[in-house]
Amino acid sequence: MTKMLKTFVSRYWGVAGVLLFWQAWVTITGVNSIVVPHPIDVARDIVTEPGVYLSNGSQTLFLAALGLVLGMALGTLVAVLAWSSDILSGILTPLGLVFSSVPVVALIPIIARLFGYDVKTVLAIVVIISFFPAFVFTSAGLKTLPAGSDDLFRVFGASRWTRFVRLVLPSAVPNWMIAFRLAAPPAVLSAMVAEFLMGTSGLGYLFRSAASNFQTDRAFGTSVVATIISVICFGLALSAERAVLKRWT
Amino acid sequence: MKHRQRIRTITLGAIGIALFLALWELIGIRGWAGLTWPPLSTVLAFLFDPSRRPLFLRAMTASFSMIAFGYAIGLVLGLAAAALGHLVPPLRPGLDRLASIIHAIPTIALAPLFIVLLSRELTGMAIAALGVFFVIYVSATSGLAASSAAHRDLFQVFGTSRLTQLRRLDMPAALPALVSGMKYAVPAAFIGAILGEWFGSSRGLGLLMVSAMQNFQIPLLWSAVLIASTASLLIFGLMSLAERLAYERYR
Repeated sequence: MTKMLKTFVSRYWGVAGVLLFWQAWVTITGVNSIVVPHPIDVARDIVTEPGVYLSNGSQTLFLAALGLVLGMALGTLVAVLAWSSDILSGILTPLGLVFSSVPVVALIPIIARLFGYDVKTVLAIVVIISFFPAFVFTSAGLKTLPAGSDDLFRVFGASRWTRFVRLVLPSAVPNWMIAFRLAAPPAVLSAMVAEFLMGTSGLGYLFRSAASNFQTDRAFGTSVVATIISVICFGLALSAERAVLKRWT
Repeated sequence: MKHRQRIRTITLGAIGIALFLALWELIGIRGWAGLTWPPLSTVLAFLFDPSRRPLFLRAMTASFSMIAFGYAIGLVLGLAAAALGHLVPPLRPGLDRLASIIHAIPTIALAPLFIVLLSRELTGMAIAALGVFFVIYVSATSGLAASSAAHRDLFQVFGTSRLTQLRRLDMPAALPALVSGMKYAVPAAFIGAILGEWFGSSRGLGLLMVSAMQNFQIPLLWSAVLIASTASLLIFGLMSLAERLAYERYR
């Protein structure tokens, strides 16, 4: 029991400290609860009205997950295409690097204008944001083969297709998992930003409407729920990555 | 042979970028993507029109100063937290959790908090600082663990203090990873500042973007995005050069 408590304290002293500071700050300065709500009020709002959070949260999560899957698939596909041709790879790789070092969130207004203020646009934004890490990391993975393995396949006269399925694709898996872990939390967060900016539905919209109606406890509750979702996504992606790497290497 | 390979890479890369720009122009001229996709030439003409120079210059000064300050604050905080976790190991797990949870809080949810705590104008800087903080903290902690065990043993045998060891061994060993982190922190700083400006800042590129989006000023919208992207890309490129130097010198 004390051991569990000890691990808990050593892992979460920072988070607990921030929560305590928040409560203390609100109590001491006596700031109006419309400006900054008490942590307890936020928790109460989440517990008493889980339905609102659940329906909006699941919508955001669904869009983020679908967008992530589509974006990863598209990125992998383009990376494979680029692998199959040196010229294509030479043309696409710098573009991929350029776009992954550009603040992609800044493109959201443009995408919103292109596709209209719609749920589809949220999906498109998540797809685009997940595409670049998938492309960049998978391309790099397709090129880093274990030393000597390529020669072995050639010596045995393996066809290009066999080489691709049996050697190149499997050796790209660890990198692919890195891309997945990196892209998962931004997928949730960018879905929220898009929902917020366009005011469609989902957590981002819930936040926006709560904030403009001065329901600050609901607004903060939305942040808490979004943070939890994002942390869980990151944790799941991380453990998926570890499990795959363990089996793979 | 290596030289020829290099020329080939550069040529193909240039062709790729040129194709992308040409496609952008073509889609715009033909109107394949509707009215909201202007040709590159229109955007550039709009951007370099002398009458708009004050507008863009004002927005750029506002945004870039927020980005620079945010970056500096995030860098210092990230380094300080990483050094603290390194010097006082029991604090490490808690710091790790705190950093990743702060990173997971949606930026749009942080913005209202900073508006209350600081001001509307400084919100972008604060969000940029948080984004940079996380990247720097992660890269600095992994960098500080990079010194070899044999070197650490040597320092221990000679009875050096932890602080001296940090200065003479761990910090130089951490430099390459840190510079990589500083590179990846650049887009994070831009994203933070632009997002922050979406929340009712009265100046900056982010404000230009949102107001242009809502008022259907398409060339203005694309110009603002183009400025932010190009600036981020340029600094990212410079950082890549610095990264290469660091790896050559300290590895």
